[in-house]
Amino acid sequence: MKDHLRAVSGQVIAIGVALLMGAIIILMVGESPLRVFMTLLRGAFGDQEKIAGTLLQTTPILICGVAACIGLRGGMFNVGIEGQLFLGGFAAAWVGFAMPLPAGIHTLAALALAVVAGAAWVAIPAYFRARYNTNEVVSTILSNYVAVLLTSYFTIFLFKRPGGWSETPPILATSYLPEIFTFSRLNWGLVIGLVLAVGAALVFRYTKWGYGVTMVGSAPKFAEYGGVNVKRQGFLVLLLSGAVGGLAGGVETLGVHHRFMEGFAPGFGFDGLIAALLANGSPVATIFTALFFGALRNGSLLLEVDTSASREIITVIQALIILSVSAQVLVRKRGDSQAGERRWKF
Amino acid sequence: MSNTPGSPTLHSNAAMAVELTGITKRFGAFVANDGIDLAVRRGEIRAIIGENGAGKTTLMNILFGLLQPDEGSIRLNGEEIVIADPSVAIKAGLGMVHQHFKLVPSLSVADNVFLGMEIRRHGLIDHAAQVERTRELSKRFGLQVDPTERVGLLSVGIEQRIEILKVLVRGARTIILDEPTAVLTPQESRELFQTLRSFVAEGMTVIFISHHLEEVMEVSDTVTVLRNGRKVATRPTAELSKDELVHMMVGREVSFDRRARASLHGDVVLEVKDLWARDDRLLPALRDASFTVRSGEVVGIAGVAGNGQTELAEVLSGLRPASHGGAWLKGRNLTALSPAAIRQAGLAHVPGDRMVRGVDRNASIAANTLMGRQHRAPWSRGGMLNWNAINQNAETLIKSFDIRARAAGDAVKRLSGGNIQKVVLAREFTNGADFLLIDQPTRGVDIGAQEAIHDEIMRQRAAGRAILLISVQLDELAALADRILVMFNGRIMGEVAGDDADEERIGMMMAGVAAPEFAAEIAS
Repeated sequence: MKDHLRAVSGQVIAIGVALLMGAIIILMVGESPLRVFMTLLRGAFGDQEKIAGTLLQTTPILICGVAACIGLRGGMFNVGIEGQLFLGGFAAAWVGFAMPLPAGIHTLAALALAVVAGAAWVAIPAYFRARYNTNEVVSTILSNYVAVLLTSYFTIFLFKRPGGWSETPPILATSYLPEIFTFSRLNWGLVIGLVLAVGAALVFRYTKWGYGVTMVGSAPKFAEYGGVNVKRQGFLVLLLSGAVGGLAGGVETLGVHHRFMEGFAPGFGFDGLIAALLANGSPVATIFTALFFGALRNGSLLLEVDTSASREIITVIQALIILSVSAQVLVRKRGDSQAGERRWKF
Repeated sequence: MSNTPGSPTLHSNAAMAVELTGITKRFGAFVANDGIDLAVRRGEIRAIIGENGAGKTTLMNILFGLLQPDEGSIRLNGEEIVIADPSVAIKAGLGMVHQHFKLVPSLSVADNVFLGMEIRRHGLIDHAAQVERTRELSKRFGLQVDPTERVGLLSVGIEQRIEILKVLVRGARTIILDEPTAVLTPQESRELFQTLRSFVAEGMTVIFISHHLEEVMEVSDTVTVLRNGRKVATRPTAELSKDELVHMMVGREVSFDRRARASLHGDVVLEVKDLWARDDRLLPALRDASFTVRSGEVVGIAGVAGNGQTELAEVLSGLRPASHGGAWLKGRNLTALSPAAIRQAGLAHVPGDRMVRGVDRNASIAANTLMGRQHRAPWSRGGMLNWNAINQNAETLIKSFDIRARAAGDAVKRLSGGNIQKVVLAREFTNGADFLLIDQPTRGVDIGAQEAIHDEIMRQRAAGRAILLISVQLDELAALADRILVMFNGRIMGEVAGDDADEERIGMMMAGVAAPEFAAEIAS
């Protein structure tokens, strides 16, 4: 419990430091930090529509975050969630516009193909990792570019809707993810995300498989010694992580855009990974960090309307958070080192 | 602070390299050091000895500025000093060689030695000068290293020499070593002692932490014994016997005498035949090993570390492929099975490198006791873990194996080395296996815990388990084993009955002289 408190307080301090540095940069561009932060807050939570908008932005970040958590738990750094999301998004759209099916079943079929697409996309790096010990960080990062361009190719050359836009035909209404409120596009994707987060936490904690995976991630030689097949579990974990990444794309297509278009969900995969890291790989904690990033994104929409700051300032703040979180990891590692307790512990 | 002449406590004595007075250090309610006085003369080798948790490392960390004392004062060469952090200690001529090394594997030996204080020429690193200076120091103190070699390719023993060189180039006159021999082979330990003697011959001072009686007797001039955070005594080594030392350390007599036993050898449980295996560099490391282990029997494997014992253990547990031959556990050939299948066939394994293989340091004691049995009821049913049963079992094991921990939920990394080993033993000895593969059960474990571990091994023998005990400590084998096999260069050089274990004969075999009946076979 004490360890938990320490971890949480560390993350809070890291975010605080990032916001403070962000404030200095806002001052440097000649805006009032207080005004910018208040505007962000109002833009994110000012009324029920804004809150729904924040939750709408949170949804893909949350699902991608869970995908990242699954990988991290098994010691795998899936940096290819962005690409898996694009392929999942496209796969869901294809089922949506090309395959007439009854309502409900249509949605499930589209989500299922999104899952398969995401898993299939990560299967290549996962296989090379298991077979030849290829570093999955590099191969999954690179696979992002291929995924984004491949879906662009599909969209523009094979399935382009007549007209000026680089997008597929709209999906049939039978495949929509139902919306929760009338005043927002917020849909059942959020519920899917929450269920996944809690479900992943329960699986890790209460199943035999989750125990093995946790040990592979945390002490691979110990897991091997205990009879866990380290390579197979590593492969499975990456596959599962990719499947959830694909699902995130499916949810985005079926719930929000109702078609696939180029650059349809920029950066959600990476935001999800950062949210997962900020949450120390805990799926439940990722709900809150994803909400934080969703609020930043949604709040920033109001930023350019109400202040002279550019909405890019939130990208700066996100980068600062990454920096301070990584720095904090280094500090904590040092505190744990053989050199013993340091007096300047964080 | 000025010295007050005539007052004995404040009397400055420039012949003393280190004087600690009334050092007290508390961690919460736990008193790690309780009013410890320690005075080390310049030019002596001082051993600080005590059980795990006696406060040795804490005291040295205070001296080196890694910890601040709650009470007490420090003088170096007669001058009072506040050691706020290690840089102060280094400036004052102290150097510390830690148990765990901090080297950059991709850099050369010389680059590691001079890391952070590079010799520069025209603003660039003068590699030639660094190599030259490293070579000169290593010659002077008998620390054999090749300064141009990359550290990643070197053995632990050589890494330690590099750590010592690092301390030397930083100008240390008083060198503190924390458990320096824990990672060394007997041969490397002897070379280290030579080096320590050459330090004092040049007027330097050595303080080393150990709980290995033999080496303390061999190399130190004076011994300070700590127990439960207090100083028990400081005595010249020459006046002490091993028995007295043990008595001071643990406050009661401990014997490594041969354990009484009834002969109850049953059926053959493990049969190893013509077994060969390669090491990580793909060179033959285990050559043509053949032996059997019966139920109710402890077969010991003696040998200097690195003569094929690790590879033998890894092949038997499925962590390394055999290149030829086989090993049958109750009739099933282990070399064809995965680690999981071997466990199911009836293996329990206490690994030699317990921190890496034996536990997940970040996980709880309960989670650590689950490994290897997570597939079985009552620990899991239908893929779901039963944490109630797991936690309860862990609490029971904590009691029955006397693990010093507060609760089953404690992270293993919060435990001392001896208690971590007890967690491993508790898990492996209670999983119902017929064959126990036990590798270095008491390495780095204090004497009190050693005795408890030996008791437990004898109980397992009495319960009819077949036990293969690999150890580099001869007294341990002599106390426990029914038969002792001696390994050298991957081969079994001979067999000695435990009842007439003759240190000299075993020593010959460990050095590569085969027993006559084995020599013929090796030659063929």
